[in-house]
Order: sequence, then structure tokens, then C-alpha cells
Amino acid sequence: MEKKQILLFFIGLLSIGQIFGQKDNVIVLDEVILSDAKLLHFSKGTKVSVVRDSVQQKSGATLTDLLRYNSNIYFKENGYGMVSSASFRGTNAQQTAVVWNGININSQLTGQTDFNTLIPGNYGDVVVRSGGGSVQYGSGAVGGTILLNDSFKFNDGWKNSLRTSYGSFNTSLLAFNTSLGKEKTSFQIGVNHIASDNDYKFLGTDRRNGNGAYDQLNLNANVGFILSDQQIVKVYHNTFIGDRDFSGTLTAPADENYRDLNHRSLVELGSFNEKRIARLKVGHLYERYRYFPNKERKEFSYGQANTFLANYDYKYQLNRITLNGLIDLSTIRAKGTSIENANRDFVAGTFLLSHDLTDRFNYGVNLRKEVVSDFKSPFLFSLNSGYEVSKNYRLTINMSKNHRIPTFNDLYWTGAGASGNLEVLPEASWQLELGQKLRLKNITLLLNAYSITTDNLIQWRPNEQGIWMAMNVQDVSQYGLELGLDWKKKWGNNNVVWESEYSFTKSIDNSTDHQLLYVPEHMLRSNLAYQYKKVVAFCQLLYNGSVYTTTDNSDSLPSYTLGNLGLDYHGPDISGIKFILGVKVNNIFNKSYQNVAYRPMPNRNFQIQLITKF
Amino acid sequence: MKIRKVVLPLLIIGLTWSCSNDDDGIQVPMGDYADGILISNEGPFSNGTGTVTFISEDLSVVNHGIYNTTNDEDLGNVVQSIGFTEDEAFIVANVSNKINVVNRFTFEKIASITNGLNNPRYFIEANGKGYVTNWGDTADETDDFVAIINLQNYTVEGTIPVVLGPEAILAKDNTVYVAHQGAWGQNNKISVINTTSNEVIKTLTVGDVPNSMQLDTSGNLWVLASGKPAYTEDETEGVLSKINTVTNEVEGNLPFESTQHPNSLNLDGGDLYYHLGDTVFKQSLTSTSLGMEMVLEGVSFYNMVVHNGRLYGTDAGDYASNGTLTVYDVSTTLAIKSITVGIVPGGIYFN
Repeated sequence: MEKKQILLFFIGLLSIGQIFGQKDNVIVLDEVILSDAKLLHFSKGTKVSVVRDSVQQKSGATLTDLLRYNSNIYFKENGYGMVSSASFRGTNAQQTAVVWNGININSQLTGQTDFNTLIPGNYGDVVVRSGGGSVQYGSGAVGGTILLNDSFKFNDGWKNSLRTSYGSFNTSLLAFNTSLGKEKTSFQIGVNHIASDNDYKFLGTDRRNGNGAYDQLNLNANVGFILSDQQIVKVYHNTFIGDRDFSGTLTAPADENYRDLNHRSLVELGSFNEKRIARLKVGHLYERYRYFPNKERKEFSYGQANTFLANYDYKYQLNRITLNGLIDLSTIRAKGTSIENANRDFVAGTFLLSHDLTDRFNYGVNLRKEVVSDFKSPFLFSLNSGYEVSKNYRLTINMSKNHRIPTFNDLYWTGAGASGNLEVLPEASWQLELGQKLRLKNITLLLNAYSITTDNLIQWRPNEQGIWMAMNVQDVSQYGLELGLDWKKKWGNNNVVWESEYSFTKSIDNSTDHQLLYVPEHMLRSNLAYQYKKVVAFCQLLYNGSVYTTTDNSDSLPSYTLGNLGLDYHGPDISGIKFILGVKVNNIFNKSYQNVAYRPMPNRNFQIQLITKF
Repeated sequence: MKIRKVVLPLLIIGLTWSCSNDDDGIQVPMGDYADGILISNEGPFSNGTGTVTFISEDLSVVNHGIYNTTNDEDLGNVVQSIGFTEDEAFIVANVSNKINVVNRFTFEKIASITNGLNNPRYFIEANGKGYVTNWGDTADETDDFVAIINLQNYTVEGTIPVVLGPEAILAKDNTVYVAHQGAWGQNNKISVINTTSNEVIKTLTVGDVPNSMQLDTSGNLWVLASGKPAYTEDETEGVLSKINTVTNEVEGNLPFESTQHPNSLNLDGGDLYYHLGDTVFKQSLTSTSLGMEMVLEGVSFYNMVVHNGRLYGTDAGDYASNGTLTVYDVSTTLAIKSITVGIVPGGIYFN
């Protein structure tokens, strides 16, 4: 790899404008190859950032690790590698949507995604889309949306990449990715295996994380065929198998085990010409968990859901106007220890419009209505606009109404001491956001301010009989400010990229004015990379403000600052084989910290890595 | 609280919480804990520690987290209950499988019992020993037991196997009575244990899900069973049973309506009290039917104790913030004072 490229691709969060900026050059075929073209046309007034492939190689294996240092999302992790839920812009775990190739994959059972069960390594870039997106991405796209898109590379030859790493706590990673891109055929398969004893020290005690081992296998396989100059067919598949012992806390040991199994499959047929693109997608999602309260015993409880979906998407280009209509059909069947066979049928109609009024002014109108078999879903919309005030200054505004629908657990849970509630309503959320972007020679400055109001927040609370039930008990508001600063500089053999983001987040219970649980008011992250010839040194810094752990704000976790330091050496090509050898120290200050109370995170640890590309 | 029952839903559901309490307790310098009320607070569900709150007898002094303040360590996860000997308090942490033994008046730690317990629930002293109900592994319905505690060296020196789900425990002279609420399921038994032989000498059948017991001055044991809840799809009525502790026979059963599920049986001033729905009722010891005499209406307590003419009721709020204790005068039914205590206040004791 050329020296310039090494660094160019190094650091994350380049604006979407940079990749999709030259729209005129994007030919139709390139668009059809994308698995989620909605992002291209209908997110222009929205803050979208891309975490580059090359950043992933420096950020651990899971989506939690990647986004912790490359986005302003706060992760609540029940110990390192354990259940990890996101708080995006002060919202809760069910208010962040994770979208796989255009399909919302939040659990049908819990409504959220465990970010430690997603391995981003094979997807290429990971896209973080801040703010409301329920019109495009469905339930839960309130705080923001994480997009995982497979890429199809035609005419790209045969490429292989092998990544191996080993580090503290007997943590090993093996990732192999091979892709073959011919003129009419594209094929890619990626396998990742990650395992760790994860028995880190609980700093300040004589104890270790005794029951935290994990073992995960992830497979991505994709194949695409260009059938003619008007037709393309693509097949996507992802399987994740996870086996984790669940860590104990500072006050209680643990002997639990948890196993995940996910299959996701999608077939897409695309038909296109210069004016229109029609896509038909048919897919199946399968999720299953098994929870062993005592891993020495055979008893377990489980839950599973099957989603069958079909989606027809028709896009039409009318001069400066892009029109898109979508119809989604899905049927979901769930069952488990605490859910007797429960079904949901679902139809959604979506209309998207984007109009480039002038070369510098764009606006969009997006509408969605869902009809769901087991509850009434609100009408959703979003309006957005972008205006290029000058060549290096851009303003954006968006306003949207979003929702989070009741999950199968919320509606159908039956079990000792807890019960679903068929009366529960979807959460409805309104938001407004203003963005500014200033791009100078070496500096990019981003400033976003937003406000979110959510009614009917769904929470589990005991009823009069002491039975825990899902209820619409609370109205909450979030508002905040995000300030991003990227700086790049090159001189001689030196190259520096520095990118930082500060976020201020208020997330309050409207009835008490208390800050919600586990939302830091202040977060600051700063990543710096310096390259000299074939050596790259980098550091990741994260300041995480104090978070409340009780709803009356009577108790809190202290703030902390984490630092990671790494060094990569890009070896010379040896008969077409490229090597990158890296070492990394995580938690270099050996800081004792928790992002969920009484669940300590790892002490200082080390990792060496070898990436081979051929 | 059958705490682990809800741990899985919570874990999987990833609950978020709302708020209800925001008044602060009165903070004063630490005092002696000899005369006053001890509240055991279970603490947060899946991560954290329970605490003990001290409230002086005149309700004017409140000390939070007195175990931690005195000993600079946490009690453990889900503080289920406190049992007492003459000078000691045995603080039972259910999920941590741990009992911390302290001087009940200074709260200075004497010992921790960590071996030989499995899901411990309640402690009682009888015949010079401690007895602790244990669910055992919750997946195994046949490993439930009562642990025998040596009160000299604070170790588990033996176990007595019992039927499913031992919960409340009570001593009459050298006999111990255990109510089998049923752990995660439901049971309807009372075990009678001879503390000389440390054997179960009799198992009595009462209503479904016996949750609380009281001993009157005539030597009758009163057992209140809540009945099976509706979600079992085999709902049964609550039952108040009277047991003769001389013959160890059930002498009478007073059934409630099939959808009535009472709890928190108390005895004060010669009358029984219990909590049903949003009401506290009084029941005469001599009555042969359920009198259903209302004492307090429109109240919802996490736990309630009636003591010397006063009713002490706790409210766990949203279970993720500090709860409250409200003290009522039983004769006037007026609230005397509300005091902020710890998270999920489950136990009320008098020192």
C-alpha cells in the first residue's frame, strides 16, 4: 500500500460528503451495487459519518470496541465482551437501530442490539447516521442508526486478507477474508473467530473476572451476478455464533452462560436503467438465545424469532427530483421459555423524495405508515434540507417523527413475576436538528445541535400485584451539542491526522428533570495518528463523564479517561504479499473504570497483530 | 422478592427506569444504632449492593448505608433480610450467597459466612444455633435446605434437607417452623424442625404460597398464604391458617376469595394485620371467619410491619432509586412521617 493511502484511510469519521460528494460521477450500476441506496439520496440533511475499514483493524473485534472510540455513543457493557447496549444521543438501548444491508436487525424479542454480537470486520466501512431515521430504517431509529453494508466488488481481482492477533487474557483473533471480483460476478467470504479467557484483574481488589470467557464465530458470505446491463442479483448471508460466560459483579460471583445464534439471509434482484431502479428483496432473519443460569447444569431458558420479509423498492429519477417508493411486508414468529408462539404481521409503505432545487440547495420529504397486526403504529415523517452557503460552509436541518415499537417481550412475555402487556403503545419521538460544517484547508469543523422529545417511553415496572409489566410510563427529552474537529497535515515524510469530538448530552425525565440513567453529560474523544514513512503511531483518548446509576440521581459512577496507544509497521511487499505488524496497549493509564455499576472493565492490556494481504 | 426471577427478564429486556422519589433523608453525624429502626434495602437487581438504613426511634435521625460506613465494604448483592441474636445481626445477601455478621448495635463486622450457603433467604436463632433457609440451585427443586449455623465460629456446621422453596422461618422454643413459599415456583408446606435432632419431624399443608407467619401468646402459629397468582393459569385463593404448636396440627383455614392474594401477616396488640391489594386489614385472633376490617386504604407497600401501634410501610418506587418508609399511627390511620431509605427497602426491624 502506498504511504499516502495508509494514512488517508487511517482515521475514521470522514464525512459522507466526501464519499458521495461527486454524485454526477456515480453511475447507476455503482448505485445498484450498494445494498442501501437510501443513504445516498435521502440523508442529505443528516449527520452521517463513516468509520473506515482501516480503523477497524486498530479497534478490537466487536462493534462495541469500534464505536466506543469512533463515535459519541455511550456503551453500557456488563463487563468487557458481555451484553453491550448503546445510548446514542442520550436515548436508551431500544432507540438505536442497527441496519444490515438495509434491513433493521434489532432483536424482535428485546428491541435492541447487543453490540458485542456484531463483528464489523467483513463489512468494510461502518456508517453511523445520527438522529431520527424511522422513516427509512424503522423502529428504534431515534437516537441514531448504525449501518452495516456488504460491498460487492466487480472487476477487482482475487484478494485475500488474513488478520491474526494475540494478546492479554489469552485473547486470540483469526480473521480471513477472500473476495473474487470478475466482470459479471462478485464473490466474498469472510470468517472471524475471536476467543478470550477475559479473566482481567478487577483493579483495586484481589479478584479477577472469573466467569467472563467468550468464544465467537462470525461468517459473512456474499455473491453477486450482473445478469445483463439491466439486471443484477445479489445474495447476502451472515451467521453469528456466540458462547459467553456472563461476568459476575464486584458483589456477586457468576456461573451463568449465554449463547447466541443469528442467521441473516437476503436475496436481492435489481432491475435498472438510467431513470429508474427497481429492487425486490426477500429475506429471512433468525435469532435465538439460550441462557444457562448455572453453566454446570443442563437447564436453560431460550427465546427465538423468525422474520420472513419481502421488500419492493422503486426509485425514479425525474431531472433534479429523486422519488422512491417502498413496500415492506414481514411476518415474525417468536417463541421461547417465556413466550408462547406469538406472531406479528407487518406492512409498511414508505415514500421518499429528494429535490436538488439548485446545485447548492437540496430538500427532502419522507413519509412512512405501518400497519401492524398487534398494535397501532403512528404515521412517521421526516423533512430535511442541506444548503451550501459557500464552497466550504454547509448548513443542514432536519426534523422528524420517529418511533420505537413494542417488542415481543413487551407484549407477550409470560413468566414468574413478569408479564407482557398487550395494551402497551409504541413510543413516539419528535426531533429537530441543525448542523453546520466548515471545511478549510487542513481543518474540518462540525457542529450539530439537536432536540428530541419522546412520549410513552416503554419501561418495565411492577404493577399493583408486584408483577413486572411493560408500561408507557414516562415522557423524556434529550438535547445536546456535538462539536467535531478534524485536522490533517502533511510535510515531507510526515503525515498527521487528528480527529476529535466533544458531545454534551442532556437526557431528562420530563416529570422530575433528573438526568436519565447511564447518560454522560460530557464525552470527549480524540484520536491522533502520526505517520513517518512506513511507521504509524496512533493514540485513542476517551473522556467519559460521570453517569447516574439511580433515577433519583442519588448515586453515580465517576468519570474516567482512557488511553490506548499503538504502533503499526507496514512491511515491504514480498512477492506481492503485504504485511502490517502492529502492537497496541489498551488502557495505558491502567484506569479502574466501569460503564455499568459494579461491573469493572479491563486493566492495562496488550495486543500484537499481523495482517497479511495477498 | 424472588429476585433472580426477574433478573433474566431484566437482563434480556435491558430495562430502563423511571423515577418517583426525590426527597433526601436527613443526614446527621453517626450515632449508636441501639435504639431505633433498621431497614434492609435489597439494592439494585443485577449489579450493586444492598444497604442498611438506621432510623432513630423518634424518627429524627437517619443514617444511610451504615454497614458500609462502619466497615468500609459492601454487604453484597440483594440484601434479602436480617436475622438477630441477642447481640448480633445476620445480614443475608441472597445473590452473593453471603451472610455478614455484625454487632447489632455498633454494626461492626464480626464475620462473613460464605461457605455452605446457596440462595440464602432468612435467619432465625433457636436452641443456641442459627437456622437459615436456602433455595439451593433454583433449577433443582430437590436440593433446598436449612443451613445450621454455629454461633461460636460462624460457620455452616450442617444442613437439613427440606421440600421446595423454604422462605420465612420462625422459632417456638426449640422448634423451628419454615414456610415453603416455593422459590421460583409455588409450594404449600410448613416444615416443623426439631432443633435437638435437627430433623424435620413433620410437614404440614397450608394454603398455596405461604409468605408470612406469626406466633400468638397462646402458642398458635398463624400462617398467611397468598394463593397462586393468575399468571400460573391455576389461580388459587389466599388462606389464613392456624396451627396448634403443641400438636403441630392445622386447626383451621380461613380462605379468601379466589382472586385475593394477601401478604405481610403481622401481629400487634392482640390483632393480626395483613396487606391485600391496596388495603391493610385487621383480623381478630378469636374470629372464626375473615373479618376484613379495613385499617388503611389506598396504600401499596413493598413490605409492611405493625409494631407497638404503628404501621411501617415501605415503597420501592421504581426500584432504581431510593425508596421510602412511611410510618402511620394505626389508631388514627394518619401518616406520621415519610423517610427516604435505600434502594428497594425490603426489611423492617427494631433494635
